[in-house]
Amino acid sequence: MLKRFLSERPLRLPHLKPYVPRPSDPSIFWFNAERDDIVSDVVNRICSAHEHDRARLEMALNDAAFHEIRRLEKQRDEEARDRLGYWRSMIRRIGKMDDTEQKRVLHTIVTDMARDVAGNFDPRVYRFARKAVPRLIAGVMEPRRLTKDLMSESPEVLGRVLQVQGDVERLRRLQPEGSLVFVPTHASNLDSIVLAQALEISGLPPVIYGAGKNLFTNPIISFFMHNLGAYRVDRRIRVGLYKDILKLYSQVMIERGYHSLFFPGGTRSRSGMIEGHLKLGLLGSAVEAFSTNRVRHVNRPVWFVPTTINYALVLEAETLIKDWLTEEGQARYIIEDDEFSRIDRWIAFFRKIVGMRGACIIRFGEPMDPFGNRVDANGQSLTPTGRVIDPGGYVERRGTPVLDTVRDGAYTRELGEVLAKRYEQETVLMSTQVVAHVLFRDLVRSTPGMDLFTRIRLRGEISLDRESLCQDLGETRDRIRALEAEGRTRTSEAVKNDSPNDLLDRALAFWNGYHDSTAAALEGDRVVIHDPSLLLYYQNRLVPFAEEIATPEQLSAACEIQNLGFRR
Amino acid sequence: MTLRIGVVGAGGFGRAIARASARHGHDVVLWSRQPRDLFEPIRASTEIEDLVESELIFLAVPARHAEAAAEQLGQVIDGRHLMVHVSRGLTGPDLKTVTAVLREKTVARRVGALAGPLVAKTLAEGRPSGAVLGTRFPEITEMVRHALGGAELRVYDSRDVVGVELASATVGFLTVVLGYARELGAEPSTLAVLATRGMVEISRIGQTLGADESTFMGLAGLGDLIAAVAGDERPEFRLGQALARGAELTTAVRELGAYVEGIEVARHMIEHARRLGLQTPISSTFVAVVEGRMSSEDAIQALMERRIGKE
Repeated sequence: MLKRFLSERPLRLPHLKPYVPRPSDPSIFWFNAERDDIVSDVVNRICSAHEHDRARLEMALNDAAFHEIRRLEKQRDEEARDRLGYWRSMIRRIGKMDDTEQKRVLHTIVTDMARDVAGNFDPRVYRFARKAVPRLIAGVMEPRRLTKDLMSESPEVLGRVLQVQGDVERLRRLQPEGSLVFVPTHASNLDSIVLAQALEISGLPPVIYGAGKNLFTNPIISFFMHNLGAYRVDRRIRVGLYKDILKLYSQVMIERGYHSLFFPGGTRSRSGMIEGHLKLGLLGSAVEAFSTNRVRHVNRPVWFVPTTINYALVLEAETLIKDWLTEEGQARYIIEDDEFSRIDRWIAFFRKIVGMRGACIIRFGEPMDPFGNRVDANGQSLTPTGRVIDPGGYVERRGTPVLDTVRDGAYTRELGEVLAKRYEQETVLMSTQVVAHVLFRDLVRSTPGMDLFTRIRLRGEISLDRESLCQDLGETRDRIRALEAEGRTRTSEAVKNDSPNDLLDRALAFWNGYHDSTAAALEGDRVVIHDPSLLLYYQNRLVPFAEEIATPEQLSAACEIQNLGFRR
Repeated sequence: MTLRIGVVGAGGFGRAIARASARHGHDVVLWSRQPRDLFEPIRASTEIEDLVESELIFLAVPARHAEAAAEQLGQVIDGRHLMVHVSRGLTGPDLKTVTAVLREKTVARRVGALAGPLVAKTLAEGRPSGAVLGTRFPEITEMVRHALGGAELRVYDSRDVVGVELASATVGFLTVVLGYARELGAEPSTLAVLATRGMVEISRIGQTLGADESTFMGLAGLGDLIAAVAGDERPEFRLGQALARGAELTTAVRELGAYVEGIEVARHMIEHARRLGLQTPISSTFVAVVEGRMSSEDAIQALMERRIGKE
């Protein structure tokens, strides 16, 4: 009861004195003052899109009632007891309502939904969180340094574990001039926390983002989410209007210059592969924000920042790969019972990575405009040869900026393709991924003709001579370095500089003792593969490069691995 | 509404597009590297800057020149320009389409590919014909219809841009195969089997590159192939006939006086299919014959003895 109260009704701190944002504050500091206006902007746009077309209006109401009844009947909880009656009575009346009544009902539904989505931003909570969260995490990682870290400006352990790469100076310069849209790869539920920390240590402003409603069920996390500008996304709601509201909310925020974050992969990469097929809904909201502003003669740039979050060890790796292998990944959108919900796994995870320098690397790629073009230091769009162009031309028709949702949808698809390519280029290949790839490729080579599912059952049956494995590792690493030199991908410091022996030891040390069963372990002078599915998960990051980093003898196995990419 | 149209390339197709557009009352600039004499009202130019004011630009150069042409265009165009190419080919071993080249070398995003059984002569003379335009942007379709269409040309549209380009590029290869078979005296039923199964084989490869199967069975694929076999004087068909008479590939291509890239495209497609574990019996067998690794008798026997599956 209390849990529901806290998650449904946001707990906010009382305002004794209203906070007046300073000109230097990021746009999010104005959010509370604008909140009602933003909600009503969203509501008005959705309602006016329906009010001149009775068939569309009636369809929207029926769709909302149908999906909500279905959801609530399944849920059978307190919310169902409260709301089921309303929807059942409404669906019976829709056909009998006149125009005015239908519009009034639509307005009520859309307003309720938009209010539920909209977040809150409390500068006091933000200031507290930016100090407390890193120390809390640092405390879990190194309890003996807790007192020291509490006093220090920034916990030293986090700096060791988390590295930020990319041209953050340019992002800092651009942020007051337009809307930055961070579009990261998604591997773990830790991503938003890690990314928030990366923005903080890079001196970049906080961003708004959609957080799954399941994250709001924990009262403490819910309190922070509610007060840090996160908007709520209830993935159980299948109503068309709700999806429109989410998209439009994001669009209106970007139009108004709020920096945003969304994961274009939609959900965590179950396979561990770099995301190839991106969900275009929210990406489209940013493209439409740009064209809407241009049509209104508002020249506020929108820049996309392709961002990769690279872990040497992934908290939920076992559950994710299991989900992918059972092919339930498509249907089970929300995994509620994975390692993320187990505090013992958090502690084990943090303790494991604490001793490993650069266990997590956030890389901010070069920003680009909504049409996939590079931008210069001042954020101006560039041609491939470096000529400055006006991105407004893309939304013009015969010289006039016009709104065209089909056109913007097509731009979004193109942007999705560019982004997928950029993810490959900006991905930082980590020691565990490279070692897993070499081991898995050897596993494929030693089991010709065997299918993937038989292979992943070979626990403890395949072992490899350490010396020849290290030789393979060295050769593969050299080929990866060559790809890096061409700008095709990136590597971590360990992959770049460690000897193959050290690289192998580092990966084995990461795996050993954290996952339920280790991926591979050293036994005498042989490396034994204990969990091929975990190896598969980690090596999947290298799928796009498998053929190019193989020798002729390894090519056939590499082709098999690369073909896994077509299942993406 | 008078459109400002630019055409890149003064070959048969470029001139035909320019003539068709001018006939519909549009302002046309035709750009080529060499100075050309063209009839009024088409304006000939060798200055790439003259294309800046064009709303719609047609790229009418062979695929092997597309990259160089796109680089030049890239110096002057921006996001306002709409671009459509009519190249029936792919570039390089990674089967890159010409729209991909345009996106890579220029900032044009509103791009499309015009394909299907459209031949330059018919277009230039304004005789009834049809084509398919692969683009994700409906405004391009609208503009191309306005520029070239009307009663003379039915321009169908497809969102499957990659499919249209791949089908269009591989029809050239299948036309060589059919020319070869016809010269050897193949029955109409044999030609039908080769054409249909060949297209299925190619569409399987196309699907791995993101194309829809149905596109290969439409105007861009089978439609174009029917036109080629029905006798629209394709150089590919004549190349196939020359090869069947025993000519060596490079000599036959040279004597043809036209650049035919079908065999090269097929080689790249076979390599791509091999990496994915897909079978390409017709393409692989024919390329083996062309390269002298197999006799035509052995090729027929090998194809006829293959295990038969469902269609």
